[in-house]
Amino acid sequence: MNSSTVLRRTIVSAIQQRQLSASLLPRTLHTSTAVRAKSITELQDAPRKSVEEVGLGRVNREKEFPKIILDVKDDITSFNGVPKEHIHERTARIYVPARNTMQSATNNSRTWKLDFDVRERWENPLMGWSSSADPLSNLAVTFSSKEDAIQFAEKNGWNYFVEEPQPVWKFKPKSYGLNFSWDKKTRVSTK
Amino acid sequence: MIRPRGRMLNTVCSVAHHHFNPSSSLVLPTTTTRSLSLGQPLLQAAKQPPAVVPDNRVELFIDDKRVLCEPGTTVLQAAAMVGVEIPRFCYHDRLSIAGNCRMCLVEVEKSVKPVASCAMPVMKGMRVKTNSVATRKAREGVMEFLLMNHPLDCPICDQAGECDLQDQSMMFGNDRSRFTDIKFEGKRAVEDKNIGPLVKTIMTRCIHCTRCIRFASEVAGVDDLGTTGRGGDMQVGTYVEKLFASELSGNVIDLCPVGALTSKPYAFTARPWEIRKCETVDVMDALGSNIVVNTRGGEVMRVLPRPNEDVNEEWISDKTRFAYDGLKRQRLTLPMLKNAQGVLEPVDWEAALTGIAAKVSRVEGREIAALVGGLCDVESLVVLKDLLNRLGCETLCTEEAFPMNAAGTDVRSNYLLNTKITGVEEADLVILIGTNIRFEAPVLNARIRKAYLHNNLRVAVVGKKTDLHYEYDHVGDTIQALEQLANGEHKLSKDLAKAKKPMIIVGSSSLQDADGAAILANAIVLADKLKSGSSSGSSDHDWKVLNVLHRHAGQVGALDVGYTPGAGKIKELKPRVLYMLGADAGVVTRKDLAADAFVIYQGHHGDAGAEIADAVLPGAAYTEKSATYVNTEGRAQRANVAVTPPGMAREDWKILRALSEFIPGASLPYEKLEDVRHRMADIAPHLLRYGAVEEANYFKQSHALVHGSKRPSHSGRALAPPQTVLEDFYMTDSISRASRTMAKCIQAARHHKTTKYSVS
Repeated sequence: MNSSTVLRRTIVSAIQQRQLSASLLPRTLHTSTAVRAKSITELQDAPRKSVEEVGLGRVNREKEFPKIILDVKDDITSFNGVPKEHIHERTARIYVPARNTMQSATNNSRTWKLDFDVRERWENPLMGWSSSADPLSNLAVTFSSKEDAIQFAEKNGWNYFVEEPQPVWKFKPKSYGLNFSWDKKTRVSTK
Repeated sequence: MIRPRGRMLNTVCSVAHHHFNPSSSLVLPTTTTRSLSLGQPLLQAAKQPPAVVPDNRVELFIDDKRVLCEPGTTVLQAAAMVGVEIPRFCYHDRLSIAGNCRMCLVEVEKSVKPVASCAMPVMKGMRVKTNSVATRKAREGVMEFLLMNHPLDCPICDQAGECDLQDQSMMFGNDRSRFTDIKFEGKRAVEDKNIGPLVKTIMTRCIHCTRCIRFASEVAGVDDLGTTGRGGDMQVGTYVEKLFASELSGNVIDLCPVGALTSKPYAFTARPWEIRKCETVDVMDALGSNIVVNTRGGEVMRVLPRPNEDVNEEWISDKTRFAYDGLKRQRLTLPMLKNAQGVLEPVDWEAALTGIAAKVSRVEGREIAALVGGLCDVESLVVLKDLLNRLGCETLCTEEAFPMNAAGTDVRSNYLLNTKITGVEEADLVILIGTNIRFEAPVLNARIRKAYLHNNLRVAVVGKKTDLHYEYDHVGDTIQALEQLANGEHKLSKDLAKAKKPMIIVGSSSLQDADGAAILANAIVLADKLKSGSSSGSSDHDWKVLNVLHRHAGQVGALDVGYTPGAGKIKELKPRVLYMLGADAGVVTRKDLAADAFVIYQGHHGDAGAEIADAVLPGAAYTEKSATYVNTEGRAQRANVAVTPPGMAREDWKILRALSEFIPGASLPYEKLEDVRHRMADIAPHLLRYGAVEEANYFKQSHALVHGSKRPSHSGRALAPPQTVLEDFYMTDSISRASRTMAKCIQAARHHKTTKYSVS
């Protein structure tokens, strides 16, 4: 095998690599493979490897770099500067907010929230503003899972309780045609 | 194509031409090459890997997400199953389908016109696009028509900030309108209607979704609301000016997707974005409806329902929703002691507790008694019981009575709503005994009505004939009629015995006097009879028949921790010290006590209890304490603090704990709420299993006691529940009695009775 054959094979494999990786790219980033193949600098590069090959893919990473789980709980209370009365005497409530029945949308009821026991609030006598002496009263944190919220509460040394969300509503199939059925009970005349 | 129902805005009508006809789509030759037709399942399969559908479920694709659903499901429901939310105004999960707002239009491949997804049943292989250009264009068109006749008064509208129309116009609306008022007529203007003291109407804002009408006729069971006129002249209202006479009327405020129906007491008081929400439970009846208390600056601004399928679905009664202004009036905010002249005088906590401790220490434990009312939480009940038990007092009673012969309250199944609230949906027969369930548990009554409409539930009533908003068989209104039924001698007996899943609901209001024992015993005999008849045909052997419906939120909790129902023991004892914890029903008076008796009242309202007290300790109402309530099913639920108690009032268990410190030898070991809850778990672990129902058993044993003993005698009186007409519903406890809104409701209901438009 002479050197020109080797070079040709390299070019061919490089083009194939490029085409493969180009097809994975979004459309807007797509450029002509012909143009790329002509570029000398690119041809001299080492053949590109896919993400999976180098082991950065999600599956491979799990396999090759197993997690080391330490049996130590995060505790930042000793250095986060929060006064003790706002660590040991506060109870966090972890819950999924209910859907607002005034509206039909449900987007606000899909994440976990953490907030605190309510302390006294009063109306500011000068301006009528709502006042509070509670630094945690405006802390409302959102989490994607209950576990995250619990971990956050434990890290901060708060007591907490979890309110599980209400069971999901199982709807029964219903049809427009029922409005005209001969069932005297469901057929009503007011609308 | 003409839509079958033409009663809507003419503006919306013009969009309705796009109504999709499913039958025509099947025979239409496919003109588009974008997708494959329904008639070519093999090609379809080549495009998408073949799905294994094990049953008769229909497979369709919504935004390329595969959905499997029951035949008959609508496209909108199928979309909800994969988390795709389709905008809507008229469609509501718990109401029938109207299909008139057209906001839920979606593009379906191979259909030339957009499809109203709320009314469209799913079809095999359907490919729905909920966010395509065509879909968005269709919605923009609908929105343009809706906004043409909708006023631009969002800045002064109470719905602003939580308005579906506002939100969806931000999402789908055009930034300009093609509407030009060529005749200078102005926008459509509609006269506001006066439908009572709770619901404010601004009918110009109405978009004719008919949700309120459907709610009234389907859920509430009053055909008060309807439409008049057609097209752009259509109006929603009561036709004549009259009260929207329903105990569930406030729910139409939530249902209204725009600001046409808003809350009258809440009008112009707060904005949704300045409000803090606290999810908690209600105590106005024994159902423990889940609510969200909306507060601003330490004040309760309004109460909204919180959806909970097992308890209140999405509805709450008007008392739950509107009695919150009672939390701000007649409140006890300072501890008080009677001075030498016999006048209650404000003192500080230490003086009050010292004074009380001196009086309590003076008498012997057995001369002390406690009486608790219907709004007490389990925490304070446990601490009170522990405190008085330490002093040697065993007379702890609830105001609400319960017959104590046979098993009495020793067996939990005797006093619970055993089939649970959801049992109503499975049952095929409900026998209501001595309860006007419409006023004692309005939300449960709505569920019975739902089952009556959709499951052919049969209802029979023993007791006074009242309007329950559904048809029922009237067995009779005396205890004799119940006895005949229990003995199988009544003319309806054979008929009712056919039921596979019967439910008997005994109202606790009928068990208050000496006849209560006979009523409960007969109900138990009847339950066993129905059970033995049903179990032969029914597959569900665990089906429980006997249910007791309580009236007070704290009653089941009190019975669970061992209080004696009824004040009979107190009247026998004539105690020298009486500790009243929220006891406001006026069951015990000064005459029932020793002449020199010292009466302590702890509670949140200056009502019947505080009137006879020598010492008053201000406690917290249900929105002001972290507390546990057990509802009539036996479901423990946690109430949370929405606002802090006013003035010097404190959480009830803390007051009792502090008092124990002043009485020698009675100091209680609870430092924190968690300590009290640990004690509760010692007594009954279910009290801390929030949200879950602890089921009761030992039916056989407790019923055997009834069968074994002689049936109690009775006076043969009529079974007449205390609440019979609408005006009786509004004021039943110390909070609602202090409510101005409830007073207005009573006034309106009384006036309504005098008009010719009142039905009952």
